[in-house]
Amino acid sequence: MTFRLVGLKVLGALATLAFVVVFNFFLFRVVDSDPVASLFRGRNLTAQQKVELRSQFGLDGTKLEQFGRYLQQTANLNFGRSYTSNEPVMKEIASRAWPTIALVGVSTLLSTVFGVLIGIAAAWKRGSATDYSATGLTMATYAMPDFWLGMLLLTTLAVSLGLFPVGGISDPSSDATGFAKLLDQAHHMFLPALTLTIAYLGEYALVMRSSLLDTMREDYLTLARAKGLRDVVVRNRHAVPNAILPVVTLIAINFGFVLSGAIAVETIFSWPGLGLLTYDALRGPDLPLLQGLFLVFSASVIFFNLVADLLYAYLDPRVRTG
Amino acid sequence: MITVDGTLSPRRIAWQRRRRAVAHGWADYRRSVPGMIGLVGLLLIVGMAVAAPLLADASQLRAVDSIGNPTWATPSEFPPLGTDNLGRSVWAQFVWGARISLLVGLAATVIAIVLGSIVGILAGYSGRVLAAVLMRITEWFLVIPFLPLAIVLAAVLGPSVRNVILVIGITSWPSTARLVRAQVLTLKERLYVERSRALGASSRYLMTRHILPSVSPLILASLTLTVPVAILSETTLSFLGLGDPTRASWGKMLDEAFSSGALSRGAWWYYLPPGLGIMAVVLSFVLIGQALEEILDPRLRERRA
Amino acid sequence: MKTARRMLAVLGAAAAVLLAVTAAAAADDSDKKVVFSVGITSTNFDTLNPIMGYSAVDFDVWNTQYGTLTNKAAKDFAPIPGLAQSWQVSNGGKTYTYTLRDGLTWSDGTPLTSKDIVFTINRSREEEWQNYSAFTQNLTARAIDDKTVAVTSSIPDPKLPGLGDVYILPEHIWGKLDAKEIVKYPGLDGVGSGPFTTLEFKRGQFVRMKANPSYWAGKRPVDEIVFRIFNNADAMVAALKKGEIDAAHNVPSEAFDGLGTTAGMVAVQGNQGGFDEIAINGGAGLQKPHPALLDRRVRVAMAHAIDRKVLLDRVWLGIGSVAQAVSPSADPAWTPTIPPDEQFDFNLVKANKILDDAGYKDTNGDGIREMPGGGEPLDFSYYVRSESEVAPPVAEFVGGWMKKIGIKITQKPTTADQLTTIIGKGTYDMFHWSWTPYVDPDPQISYFRCNQIATAADPGSYNNDANWCDPVYDALYKQQNVELDRSKRLAIVHRMLTRLHDAASYNVIALTPDLQAYRTDRFTGWLRQPALVGPVIFSNTSPTYASLAPIASSGDGGGGIGTAGIVGIVVAGLAAIGIVGWLLSRRRSADERE
Repeated sequence: MTFRLVGLKVLGALATLAFVVVFNFFLFRVVDSDPVASLFRGRNLTAQQKVELRSQFGLDGTKLEQFGRYLQQTANLNFGRSYTSNEPVMKEIASRAWPTIALVGVSTLLSTVFGVLIGIAAAWKRGSATDYSATGLTMATYAMPDFWLGMLLLTTLAVSLGLFPVGGISDPSSDATGFAKLLDQAHHMFLPALTLTIAYLGEYALVMRSSLLDTMREDYLTLARAKGLRDVVVRNRHAVPNAILPVVTLIAINFGFVLSGAIAVETIFSWPGLGLLTYDALRGPDLPLLQGLFLVFSASVIFFNLVADLLYAYLDPRVRTG
Repeated sequence: MITVDGTLSPRRIAWQRRRRAVAHGWADYRRSVPGMIGLVGLLLIVGMAVAAPLLADASQLRAVDSIGNPTWATPSEFPPLGTDNLGRSVWAQFVWGARISLLVGLAATVIAIVLGSIVGILAGYSGRVLAAVLMRITEWFLVIPFLPLAIVLAAVLGPSVRNVILVIGITSWPSTARLVRAQVLTLKERLYVERSRALGASSRYLMTRHILPSVSPLILASLTLTVPVAILSETTLSFLGLGDPTRASWGKMLDEAFSSGALSRGAWWYYLPPGLGIMAVVLSFVLIGQALEEILDPRLRERRA
Repeated sequence: MKTARRMLAVLGAAAAVLLAVTAAAAADDSDKKVVFSVGITSTNFDTLNPIMGYSAVDFDVWNTQYGTLTNKAAKDFAPIPGLAQSWQVSNGGKTYTYTLRDGLTWSDGTPLTSKDIVFTINRSREEEWQNYSAFTQNLTARAIDDKTVAVTSSIPDPKLPGLGDVYILPEHIWGKLDAKEIVKYPGLDGVGSGPFTTLEFKRGQFVRMKANPSYWAGKRPVDEIVFRIFNNADAMVAALKKGEIDAAHNVPSEAFDGLGTTAGMVAVQGNQGGFDEIAINGGAGLQKPHPALLDRRVRVAMAHAIDRKVLLDRVWLGIGSVAQAVSPSADPAWTPTIPPDEQFDFNLVKANKILDDAGYKDTNGDGIREMPGGGEPLDFSYYVRSESEVAPPVAEFVGGWMKKIGIKITQKPTTADQLTTIIGKGTYDMFHWSWTPYVDPDPQISYFRCNQIATAADPGSYNNDANWCDPVYDALYKQQNVELDRSKRLAIVHRMLTRLHDAASYNVIALTPDLQAYRTDRFTGWLRQPALVGPVIFSNTSPTYASLAPIASSGDGGGGIGTAGIVGIVVAGLAAIGIVGWLLSRRRSADERE
C-alpha cells in the first residue's frame, strides 16, 4: 500500500469533511427560531440587553460574518453553548456519548460474532436445513423494524416478567460505585443491546454467507481439499479468511454509524445517549447542540469510512496495487 | 420495421432478443421457490392496499366517526382486529396504512433509483474530472447520517407524506449511484462497446442503447433491495412522530400503540399486525431481489443445469 | 483452535459465575439511605430558577427547597406560619409586619434574616420577576431588625398576609447577580431553607434533592427525593408497579383505574382547578390569525362543534368534568357558572347554520368553506404538543368535527418550548393546552389583560396566551385587585370570566384533575391539598414532602439489582456457556465427519 494511495484517500476524506462543515452551517440556519425569545421567555429585556444577548449567542452580524465566526470556532472545536442547558456543547455531547458508544459498540460486537458464525454455518451447508433455517431467521430479523423488536422485548421481558428495568441507564437513587454500578448499568443495557444485536446480525449473516459462497467456488479450495485437508480446516484456514473481507469493511463502516445508529431504540428504552439527545435538541431547536451533534456524527462516519477503505486496501492483495 | 428488402431491421431483432430474454428470465424465476413466495406475498399485500376501500370503510379511521365503538376491543369483540384507544378500527388502519407504507417506499425508491442511475451512468461514462466530482458528491451524501438529517428536514419542511418521500429519496440515491457506476465501468471494457465506438457511435447513443439496457437488470435488482430500506425508514420516521399525523400508516400505528399504552395493556392486536405487515413486505422484496440477482448474475447460477 | 475454544468455554463459565456472585453481593449491599422516588412524564424541568421556570414540575422543586414567609395549610390553603412565626396588621390593612422564627439558617449555614426577605420582595417588584410580579407588584419590604420585616402594599391587597407564593431567595448568593444575570442563573447551587435542597440535576433524566439539616422544623426522616423523568407513561406505570418508584404523577387515564384496584397502591384524582382549553388566536397579538377567526360568528360555530362530553369520555376516560369557563383557582367558587342557554352546546346543525348564514360557503365543492365572496378557504393551523398524552387524540377529534362543518384543520406537531415561542409571535390559529391555577384567582385572571400580550420589542415575554384584549376586562381586573370584600370580589371575577367565555376565543373543555398513584408499602404521611379532593404531590405547595416518613419495616433499598436481576444475569451466563458448548460440539462432530 503506497503512501500515495493513503495520501489520496486521506485527502478525499478531508474534502468530504469540509463539505459537511459548510453544509452543517446552512442546514440549521434554515430552521426558524429565536433562541433569545425562547430562553428568556417572560423577561422584560431592554433593547440594549437583547443586542448583548444576541451577540453572546453569535446571532449578530450578517450571515457571512456569522459563517466566518462559525468556521473559526469549529476549528477550535468550540461549538458554543447549548441553548437549553447553557453548557458547552462539546461537554454535553461528550457526557452523552459513552452510553451510545457502549450500547451500540457491544451490540455491533455481538451481532458481528453471531452473524458471522451463522453466515458461515449457512454457507458451508448450502441447501441444507441449517442453511434454510439460518437464512430464514436472519432475513426475518433483518426485515423487522428494530424499535418494534424493542417494544416486544420490553413488553415481555421487562413489563410482564419483570426481569429487567423498564428504561434508563441506571437507578438514579443508588450511590453504588465501581463494579456494582457497572453491573447495574449492564443490567439496564441488556434489553436495548439484545434488541440491537438481533436487529444487526441479519446483515452480517447475509453478507458473510454470500461472500463465503463466492469464495467457495474458487479453485484453490478444491486444491486444498485435493491435498487431503479436512473440511473444517479448509473452511477455517482458507475459505473464511478470504470471505471475511467484506464483513470487515462492513464492520468498519457500521462503526461510523454507531453514534447516530440507535435513535429509535434509545427512545423506547429511555437510554440517555446521543440519539435521544438529538431528538431532544430538536425541541427549541437547540441550534448549537444540533450543529455539534451533526458534525460529530458525520465526522465519525467519514473517519470510519476511511479506515474501512484503507483496511480493505491493506487486506486485499488484489487492490493493493491500485 | 421491415426494411426494404424484407429482412428484419436491427431494431426489431434487438427487441425480439429482449423479449426472449425476458421470457427465459421469467421461466427461470418461476423455478425459484423463495422468489415465487416473495412475489405472491407482495401481490397479496399490494392487492390488499389497493382494495382498501372495499375492505374497510375510511370512516373507521376517524375518531369522531368511531364514537359508537368500544375502545380497546379485542379482535373477538370487534372483528377482525379490534379497536384502539379511541375506538378506531385497527383493521381499517392496517389496510389503509399499507397504502402509505407501500406508496412511500416505492415513490422514494423511484426517486432514489432515477437520481442514482443518472449520476451513476454519468460518473461511469464521463471523463476523469466529471466522474471524480460526481463520485465526491455521492460520497458526501453517503456520509451524512440519515436519521438526524431526516429529522431535521422533516422538522423544517413539515410532516407530510410528500416530504417524507422527498427526504428518503434524497438520502438513498448514493448507493444506487455507486452500484451503477461500478457496473458501467465493467461494461465499458466490453468488446461491443469498443466496436460501437470504433464505428463512430456517440456517447449518448452508447449510453442509451447499450449501457442503459445492460444496467437495467441491475437497477431492477437494486430497486427491490432499496424499497425495504425505504419502507423501514418511513416506519421509523412515522414512529418518531415525523410522518403525516392525519394519515394512517404502519409506523404511525406503532407510534400510537407505544404512546397510548398498548404495550402494558397487552393489546397485541394493535402493535403486532403493523410490525408483521412490515416484515412481510420487506421479506417479499428481499426474496424477489435475491431471486432476481441469482437470475441476472450468471456467476450465481449454481444449481441450474 | 481447539484449545482456544476450550479456553473460551472455561472463561465464559468463570465469568458467569463471577457475575452471579457479585450480583448477589451487590444486591446485598442495599443502601441504608431512605430515598423517595417520584416518576413524572411528558412534562420536563425547563429551569430550576424560580424566577423564570414555567413547567408545573419545577414548582415541586421550589416548594421543597425555598421557604416562604407564610405557608399554606394543607387542607384549605389558609396562611399559616412559614419562615415567619407571626404577623401583625396595621395601616388600614396595607402593612403587615412579620416576625421571623428564631435561629433560621440557610442550608449552607448562613443565617436567614430580614435582609433576604427585603431583597426578594423589593427586587422582584423592581425588576418584574416573571413568576413573582403578580404577587409583589405592589409591595415594598423594609427591615425593622434582623428578625422583623414590614411589608407594605400600595393598594389594599386581598391576598395579604398570605405570601406563600413568594419563594425567599438567599441574598448572599442571588443578591450578587445583577438584573441580567439573575434571570439566566440556573439555580443549581442547592442553597435553600426548605426541607430539601437540590443535589443533582441531570436534564431530561432526573432531579435529586437531599434533606436539609438546617430546616427549621427539623431534618426530615427521608434522606433523598428523586424526581425521575420517563419519556413513556407505560414505563413509568411499570416502574411504579415494580417498586422502582414510590409515586407517579400524570398517570395515564388508561392505567388509572387499574392502579386504583391494585393492592398496595392508592390512585389519587387530584382536583386543584386545573383545566384544558382549546385556544384560538384572539387577534390582539403580534400577528393576526386567519381572517375568518376574527369573526365571532365563526368562533361560536366552532365552539358548537366541540363535543366536550365525548372528549372527556374518550380522551380522559371520564375522569374529570366538563367545563365552559376558565377556572382561576383551586377553590371552585371563583369559577362562574355559565347559564345553559349561553353555553356552546355540541350541535353540528347549529354550527353549520351559523356559518351558512354568515356567508361562509363552500363554493368549489371540496368540502371546505371559503371566505364570503369565495376567497381564502377556511384552513386553520392547529398546534399539537406531541409529548402530551392528550393533545394528539384531542386534535384528532377536533379535526374530525371541524371537517364536518366545512373547516379544515392543519395539524402542526410541536413541543411545549416551540409552542411558547409561537404563541408569543402570534403565528398560529389554534392550539390546545392546560393550566394549573394558583389558590388566589389573581395570577390566573391577570394573565388575560391587554398589557400581558407579547410585544414586538420582546416577543418572548408574555402571559396572555389568548392574545385577547378587552378593555372592560382590564377595568374589572383593577376593581377586583383592591376589593377586600370576598363576595363582591367573586362577582367581579365572575363577570370577567364570563366575558372571556362569551368571546369564544378561549374554549375551556374540561376540568382535568391530576392523576397520581402511590405505593403504600414504603412511606406514610401523604397529604392531599386541598383536603379530600386535591393531589398528593405537585399540588400548590406540596406539603407531602415535608411530612413523609418511611414505614419501619421497609426491606431492600429500592436501588441495586434485586433477585430478578440476579436471575437474569445467571440466565445470561448459562446461555453464554451453552452457546460456547454448542460451538465446541459442532467442531467435534465436524472432525468426526471426515
